[in-house]
Amino acid sequence: MKSTLYYKAKKVTVNALIHVLLISVAITCIFPLIWMISSSLKTQETIFSDTSLIPVKMHFENYVQAWKEGGFGRYFLNSIFYTVSVVIGIILVSSLAAYAFARFKFPGSNLLFFMFMAAMMIPIPGSFVPLYVLLTKLHLRNTAIGYILCMINVGLSTSIFLLKTFFDKMPRELEDAARIDGCSKLGIWWHVALPLAKPVLAVVVVFNALAVWNEYVLALIIFDSKGLMPLQVALMTFQGEFITRYPLLMAGLTITALPIIILYILMQKYIVKGVTQGALVE
Amino acid sequence: MRKIYAFGLTLCATLVFFGCALQSKATDKPTITIWHWMTDREPAFTELARRYEAKTGIRVNFELYAPSDAYSQKVRAAAQGATLPDIFGILAEKRDFSSFIKAGHVLDLTPHMDADSGRWRNSLFAKALAVNEFNPGNKYGIEPGVYGVPIDVMAIQMLYNKGLFKKLGLDPEKPPLTFQEFVEIGKKIKAQNMQGMVSGWAEVWMIDCFANNYAFNIMGKDKVIDTIKGKIPYTDPDWVKVLGLFKEMQEAGLLATGVVTMVNKTAEQLFANGKAVFAFNGSWCVNVYKGMNPGLKYGVMMPPRASDKYPMVIWGGAGSSFMVNARSKNKEEAVRFLQWLTDKEQQAYLAETTNNLPANKESLSKVSEILNEFVRNMDNTTHPNVWGVSEFPAVIEAFDKGIQSIIIKEKTPEQIAAEVQKIKAREQAKKR
Repeated sequence: MKSTLYYKAKKVTVNALIHVLLISVAITCIFPLIWMISSSLKTQETIFSDTSLIPVKMHFENYVQAWKEGGFGRYFLNSIFYTVSVVIGIILVSSLAAYAFARFKFPGSNLLFFMFMAAMMIPIPGSFVPLYVLLTKLHLRNTAIGYILCMINVGLSTSIFLLKTFFDKMPRELEDAARIDGCSKLGIWWHVALPLAKPVLAVVVVFNALAVWNEYVLALIIFDSKGLMPLQVALMTFQGEFITRYPLLMAGLTITALPIIILYILMQKYIVKGVTQGALVE
Repeated sequence: MRKIYAFGLTLCATLVFFGCALQSKATDKPTITIWHWMTDREPAFTELARRYEAKTGIRVNFELYAPSDAYSQKVRAAAQGATLPDIFGILAEKRDFSSFIKAGHVLDLTPHMDADSGRWRNSLFAKALAVNEFNPGNKYGIEPGVYGVPIDVMAIQMLYNKGLFKKLGLDPEKPPLTFQEFVEIGKKIKAQNMQGMVSGWAEVWMIDCFANNYAFNIMGKDKVIDTIKGKIPYTDPDWVKVLGLFKEMQEAGLLATGVVTMVNKTAEQLFANGKAVFAFNGSWCVNVYKGMNPGLKYGVMMPPRASDKYPMVIWGGAGSSFMVNARSKNKEEAVRFLQWLTDKEQQAYLAETTNNLPANKESLSKVSEILNEFVRNMDNTTHPNVWGVSEFPAVIEAFDKGIQSIIIKEKTPEQIAAEVQKIKAREQAKKR
């Protein structure tokens, strides 16, 4: 009897501790978002004096002003176009490359794979100047295609690593069955490998979409035309050299964060599956 | 399989279509392109560009790239790719500025400055121009001349809250003139449990600035320069005295809690909300405080002098400057535009709309009273960029971090002086 009580008490205590820990982590994750939304409804003056999370007077007009002043309409379309193009590009190239690395043995395949992995170690800012010079020489600077190609390149290493790890573990019998049914190598990749890799692809989509959606330094460097800039650049409108217009910046941030939050919610099921199925660990 | 090919083709077609559609459109109009990082001044620049086009028919395209560190990367990349615009700014030390000049990216503006008996040169604050000037025999090996145009000026001074002065029983129109008076106020601040001076001393360059003001006041410019040249050690009693001022301020209660880990944005917020009696900040703060608390009543003062031997000097000079691309096909038009931009009327407009100090001496009439208080001490400004010598970065770091240690009572001024001198000797030995 004592023993049952002991185990019950232990279970409740451990559960309580785990929940307290999880709730604390959740609060630390959610608090910045709530603070961002709260600040977006204040004025430039009250943001420094009214520290409460629920503002005394809510200024929803900040969202309209941020949208208009930041020119969000055009930038929003640009960001959507860049994100979709880059993510599709990364999925196509990385899945083909990862499948080849996992299934085909060719001279130098390991070396090539390690070269891709080594690229993960190079910080992006370190490659800005060479990229700029290269794009200028190829007449691709200040063009959407130039930016998209750069961003595809940036996302390839991690995506290839994730997908190769998955393809390595994929049962070969499935491919043999497809081959017996008359599938070509490309057909097996399309009809067998890709559908099975959905959870990993979801991780690749979300990670890369997030990276492209939030990127602005490379865009700022290679684009001269305002019409080509992505959404994040619009946010800089509110951040001055000495003065930051916090309410408009926070309203802008809320607007820009929304699509990526929606994407995450939509793909959450696959992401969890992708991570737990060993997408991130060998 | 057909599906795969169709998908691939559609994707390629979409990329090409949108890629081309999003490409910038070329225009036949003559256009001067200017790259800048000054988000706050963007609307004023746009308006001035509109006025210039209406006057001359030449289109001026101000392109904003912020924040400033991303802007700097863009300028460096563009310099390597030889795609710099007609006019741009260089956000760097004089050493980097000189490398841009050596690489042939920056036009020497001296002939334009000196034309018409120096009309352009004389219209600008000499101290502001000096930051963009290279003197004969400069250590960078640059042909003497003026290589940039200041569009505004700045000065870093002390500010005091008039309301809190009243609460302390002080005359709000009489800020302390001597260090002793300053210390006495510190005692009152401590007694009333108020916060003393706030500043962005976590960004160590502001400590360096404050300490240098007192170094010039206590030992004079020549001795400071001689120290940098290695002729005077940091263990000299005058340097120990400079370091000792920080200990004295801390003990008197003149420094706000946590000042050594305070970033300037926090310091501005505290002062704007009336939570600190003094602040040490640049003239840009006028606009910042106006945004944070338009009703704030404050005054500008020189750091109270610690010695009568030499005048008190503050850091100041050019705020932001523009350079003309020496390889630009529009360089003559670019120079003419900069002449127009720094003319009296345009400078007055910029000062009025952006609350920055104008670079043109004749545009001060439209400047607010508080900004005029900053201007009054422009003659007492200096800047490391105009000293002609520069200290080793490791020595500056040791000096500034040492001051932080003194404030937190970790080390004594004498200990810091000895440590800094040791690093100086090490750096000198490395150079040899």
